[in-house]
Amino acid sequence: MIYDLRFTIWARPFLAFAFAVSCTMCFAETLLLTGATVHTVSGATITNGQVLVRDGKIAAVGKSVSGGGAREISLKSQHLYPGLVALNTDLGLVEIDAVRSTVDVREVGEYTPDVFSWLAVNPDSELLPVARANGVSHFEPVPFGAVVSGQSGLLALDGWTTEQMVAKKSIALHVFWPSVNLDAMPKEKSRNPAKWKSLEDQDKERKEKLRQLDDFFAEARAYAKAREGEKSFQIVPAWEAMLPVVHGEIPVTIHADEVRQIRVAISWAVTNGVKMILADALDAWRVADLLAKYKIPVIFNHVFTQPLRGEDGYDAHFRAAGVLTKAGVKVAFSGGGASLVKNMPYAAAQSVAFGLSADEALKGITLYPAQIAGVADRLGSIESGKDGTLFATDGDILDIRSNVKRMWIGGKEVSLENRHTRLYEKYKNRPKSP
Amino acid sequence: MHGQSFLQLRIGFGFLLCSFSLIAIYPASAEILPPGFCPRAVGVHALVSGKVIVKPGEILDGATVVIRDGYIEAVGKNITTPADARVWDAKGLTIYAGFIESYLPLGQTNLPISTSFSEPIKTSALTAGGVNFLGVPGQRTDPGQSGAGNQVSKIVPETRAVRGYSPDKKVIEPLRELGFTTAVIAPTRGIVRGTSALVALAELDPNEVILKPDVFQHIAFETHEEDENAYPGSLMGTIAVVRQSFFDAQHYSLDQADWQKKPQGRKRPEFDPSLEALQFATEGKQRVLFEPGSALMVDRAAHVARELKLDFAIVSCGQEWRRPDLAKETGAMFIVPVNFPNLPKLPSEEDWEQVTLDNLRAWDWAAENPALLRQQKLDVALTTYSLEDKKLFRKNVKAAVERGLSEEDALAALTTIPAKLCGVEKQLGTIEPGKIANLTIVDGKGYFDPESRVREVWVDGRNYHAQTAKEEAKKDETADKEKEAKAEANKEKKDVELKKLQNKRLARSPMEGRGAITNSNLIMIENTTVWTCGTNGVLRVPELWLKEGKVLYCDTTIRLGWISSNTFRFRGDGLHITPGLIDAHSHAAILGAVNEPTLPSTAMVRVGDVVNSETKNISEELAGGLTTANLLHGSANPIGGQNQIIKLREGASPEGMKFEDAPQGIKFALGENVKQSNWGEKFTTRFPQSRMGVPTFYKNRFTAALQYLNAWSDFKKNGGVPPRRDLELETIAEIIKGKRFIHCHSYRQDEILAFLRVMESFGVRVATLQHVLEGYKIADEIAKHGAGASCFSDWWAYKFEVYDAIPFAGSLMRERGVLVSFNSDSSDLARRMNTEAAKAVKYGSTSEEEALKFVTINAAKQLGLDKRVGSLEPGKDADFVVWSGNPLDSRSVVLQTWIDGKKYFDRDEAVKRAATLKQEREDLIAKAKKLAKLGGGGGDDGGGGNDGSFFRISLEHQFDGIERHCMEGEAH
Repeated sequence: MIYDLRFTIWARPFLAFAFAVSCTMCFAETLLLTGATVHTVSGATITNGQVLVRDGKIAAVGKSVSGGGAREISLKSQHLYPGLVALNTDLGLVEIDAVRSTVDVREVGEYTPDVFSWLAVNPDSELLPVARANGVSHFEPVPFGAVVSGQSGLLALDGWTTEQMVAKKSIALHVFWPSVNLDAMPKEKSRNPAKWKSLEDQDKERKEKLRQLDDFFAEARAYAKAREGEKSFQIVPAWEAMLPVVHGEIPVTIHADEVRQIRVAISWAVTNGVKMILADALDAWRVADLLAKYKIPVIFNHVFTQPLRGEDGYDAHFRAAGVLTKAGVKVAFSGGGASLVKNMPYAAAQSVAFGLSADEALKGITLYPAQIAGVADRLGSIESGKDGTLFATDGDILDIRSNVKRMWIGGKEVSLENRHTRLYEKYKNRPKSP
Repeated sequence: MHGQSFLQLRIGFGFLLCSFSLIAIYPASAEILPPGFCPRAVGVHALVSGKVIVKPGEILDGATVVIRDGYIEAVGKNITTPADARVWDAKGLTIYAGFIESYLPLGQTNLPISTSFSEPIKTSALTAGGVNFLGVPGQRTDPGQSGAGNQVSKIVPETRAVRGYSPDKKVIEPLRELGFTTAVIAPTRGIVRGTSALVALAELDPNEVILKPDVFQHIAFETHEEDENAYPGSLMGTIAVVRQSFFDAQHYSLDQADWQKKPQGRKRPEFDPSLEALQFATEGKQRVLFEPGSALMVDRAAHVARELKLDFAIVSCGQEWRRPDLAKETGAMFIVPVNFPNLPKLPSEEDWEQVTLDNLRAWDWAAENPALLRQQKLDVALTTYSLEDKKLFRKNVKAAVERGLSEEDALAALTTIPAKLCGVEKQLGTIEPGKIANLTIVDGKGYFDPESRVREVWVDGRNYHAQTAKEEAKKDETADKEKEAKAEANKEKKDVELKKLQNKRLARSPMEGRGAITNSNLIMIENTTVWTCGTNGVLRVPELWLKEGKVLYCDTTIRLGWISSNTFRFRGDGLHITPGLIDAHSHAAILGAVNEPTLPSTAMVRVGDVVNSETKNISEELAGGLTTANLLHGSANPIGGQNQIIKLREGASPEGMKFEDAPQGIKFALGENVKQSNWGEKFTTRFPQSRMGVPTFYKNRFTAALQYLNAWSDFKKNGGVPPRRDLELETIAEIIKGKRFIHCHSYRQDEILAFLRVMESFGVRVATLQHVLEGYKIADEIAKHGAGASCFSDWWAYKFEVYDAIPFAGSLMRERGVLVSFNSDSSDLARRMNTEAAKAVKYGSTSEEEALKFVTINAAKQLGLDKRVGSLEPGKDADFVVWSGNPLDSRSVVLQTWIDGKKYFDRDEAVKRAATLKQEREDLIAKAKKLAKLGGGGGDDGGGGNDGSFFRISLEHQFDGIERHCMEGEAH
């Protein structure tokens, strides 16, 4: 008994530590996960299925797979899901919103394609393990800003350094679409009458903004062309950063909410031959057909945003993902604010309550974001050949009441401990106050 | 006649005293001016053969009006023209009693005060700095004015418009051209603004033109800041200040009287010109004119006026169409502006996206508002107030007439009603012998045809002929007459079409589609699962009975025999029923700012004054199963304002939403917000700035409140002058007496402990600790104190003091014996409190049954409402929610929400309602576009009025679609 107790107290954290060390230094062991309901996402769900993980990859999935020599882990009556992929978040770039020194989410300037988000992620942010504890394995920290704000990468919620965490650099260039809203405040009511502009002037201004954006992309293409022809070329880092966009190697994630913005953005992307992803996308459901027509995927950030118009119905944004999906649009759910990325599955769940199928909802937090991020060959589903990135729960991941029990990233088990669980354990064990 | 004059003298005291003595001392006939001056005219006139509108509805054709010495001597058909009269041929003219402009603020601003343009959440309203405190001797908090005066710079009842008034031709001539002969010149600055004066619109010696020097005391619910640090900085603060001012005036008069009686051996009272000036209004001897600025505040103004026993009238905001029922209830006279929104000229067709249904409604309803107020049987006076271009007045009055205001009412609104309103109905308003000779004379078809010119007005028996309107440019004789005629015919056709379009309102009343859907006293739901949240736990209930708004039976017994034809029944197979959800921390239905942030203690402000019954948040939260919400003041100060608990009876008035007899409460706050940590660099001087100062502050105010109580008990024992009623200390004293619940926004464990201990030292039990993020660290202490914990489910890390917040907190505290609820503090989360509760299951393994209690009975207990709501047990309110499945599963939806045994939300109905609204918006846009094409659409010609008036966002809908929480514009 005494021995057991000491083991429990001391060995556990030690093991967790040793585990973490060993796993980045050597190959992950071969595992056979058995007994769980395997939500493959890409294929049929297998009850009491088996997943073989070898060399960090999924080697086999099925009702019964041969796992010669693998360590068997029984996940009886649990559910197995591929790691969740949280796009469009500021996770890793911010610790505490109100403390400026901990905030690295935004740069100055309107055209900064050479700002790279994955370089500034704090691997020891206390927020990362909290997201991970609910099944999030990968996230896309977005460089926020104005117009062309920079590029994002996809990072795993595991690794000692940013370099180890990065799953893919530069998954998208981010464009924050200029506002098209007219300010109808009359001059005498304006807070700053000196800056007041007539509706006509505002119209000119927003057109000018669009022209500038057009111009920027045209210049980027011109630079790319000039660079090909010229040997002794003067390198400009900002234009260099645009090359993969010009060459169609990475998509452009356009952040836009208002329907007018979305319409213009789509026509801009089509005209410029840009591979577009629509992020934020408040009004996207109102132009679902247009998005479907051009096969533009959506990273929806507004399931819980209150509707702006009463006539849209109280449930406009609860229904939005379902409406989009029905029209044929691929919908991923946004990771959202850094501290609550863990709640991403519940945005999907709310959409299920209002018309989205549970399968599509699950895809919206796994496979679709993986596809949008261009990593579907490695992540997003439980398929042979993909990364051994998965987690086990005691219930449906779309159900708030479920808990993640174990998790593997790239075939190695990761700790589910975090700031919350540590404080919980500490104060749960506080001796009763007299 | 003379005897009558004496009577009048007592009624219209100031004005008649003046004219009477003039008559007595200087008989007009003997008035000879010194040489060099143009001699006075005889002053006797006869206007003959005119169409005389003696008063609204009484018309004399071909009649004569005789004027002598500035008054009307005679009027009638068979009047002999006096020999000494100058004769004026009025054939073909219509003669009206001179019009009265009842609200003419002469000042830098002539814009309406509130229901106006979007008022952004003012950062400055969150920014008070300095060691502000009201009532501290030797410290005038408001440096805005010099000399003696009220400590609140916006309380200036001593201002008299009459003092500064000199006739300015530029102002009064255009008014005369509109037919006005007199006007109430109103003060423009502040909240309690001072008194107005009724003046004749003549460019004469100011002394001569004043008809009545102090007509009304003016109160405007003004929230535009002059000094960003000055109290009040919010709508609710504004109302609190009005209330306190009148109590102060009452006390001032008693105290001064006592001092006059025994000027020795007692403390000398301070002199305060503002309180002195309020005496007449306080005693009901002077009418108070409220300008509430929004449809809902009309209701509030009336409540405040009645509470203070004031004689009052109201300046309309032009939007009473939102809640005509509330306007009706006031029973007050209304001064109604006719500034109607103009259709904007949008740069692109797509920009119609930006036009909201409410914009369109406000535009389409505007011209109908005066008629609507008349339909409520209210007296209406029309005013040019808030019209930037006063020339639009007649056109807009015409539009109001076309929208149902009778010409008779419109005339009364310019003559008899304003006369009555100003208390000068014996001198003005009709053409009757003895009255002042003010006349408005119009040619052609009369005043309500804007094409007919106001030819002249008579003011005090003097003729003012309108400047001949610029002769219309002589038409080119050689122009193709045919073409011209065709164009004319075209225009006419267009005009007819335009009028037809303009006069048909497509906008619906915002009242439509809101309110209870069912109307049955007896309801029975068959075969359902009920989460009672009471001692019975979760039950399979074969028959859930609800009668007269209460739960009748909620058990496993079968009583089929009970069913009668008027039983409203439905089956609940597979459905789950829970008590209506309760949000212990909401700001979702507050009109205007959530914080009165200027002072560290604002215990005197009341959220109950600013309940917003119109916000769309209510229907959205009902759709999430919420039935009761604790509307709290924000967390900008250690002692915030008083709370208001409401039931989400959508469609009810603000008063009708209030939870009857709910325990009163107050918001307190600790930590970063109150010490202004995240307010910016400017805010470093208000006490407290540290967690050390917060308990110091409480101790100070509670001690002051104890002394206040002592002062009152001394008075009750010994008599004398009662102590000044101090609404701040009175409120804190109620806490000490156990009559007011504290709901304290709190974060860190140290500050919570310090706070509990200070409160304990005053014998006070804290009702709830709100948010209480580190409460889990001191759960035992909280349990022992007996405070409830009303938490966020899982918010954390948005500011430093929440870095240690954990989602396990609710479960952990519950385990250690604390009464726990989950709150929203967000108009979004309030729509899904059920899934918030589910997080207690996930984090810390609270059972499902107990978790649901976090948003039902536990919240009810914390708010002192558990005898009425929070569980489904016989005798309790029939507030319940019908869910499609387990309420803790995010995949379940609310199908119905019931309050007091009435269904307020039904999912199918909500879908239909949205469709109706959508159709309405489309119809209105079609109308607007068509009108713009035809060249009409509002107060202005030709659409294209880009004055912004169209895009006004009403106060009621200012925050629709915007999440509301504690520290708007700041971190939470």
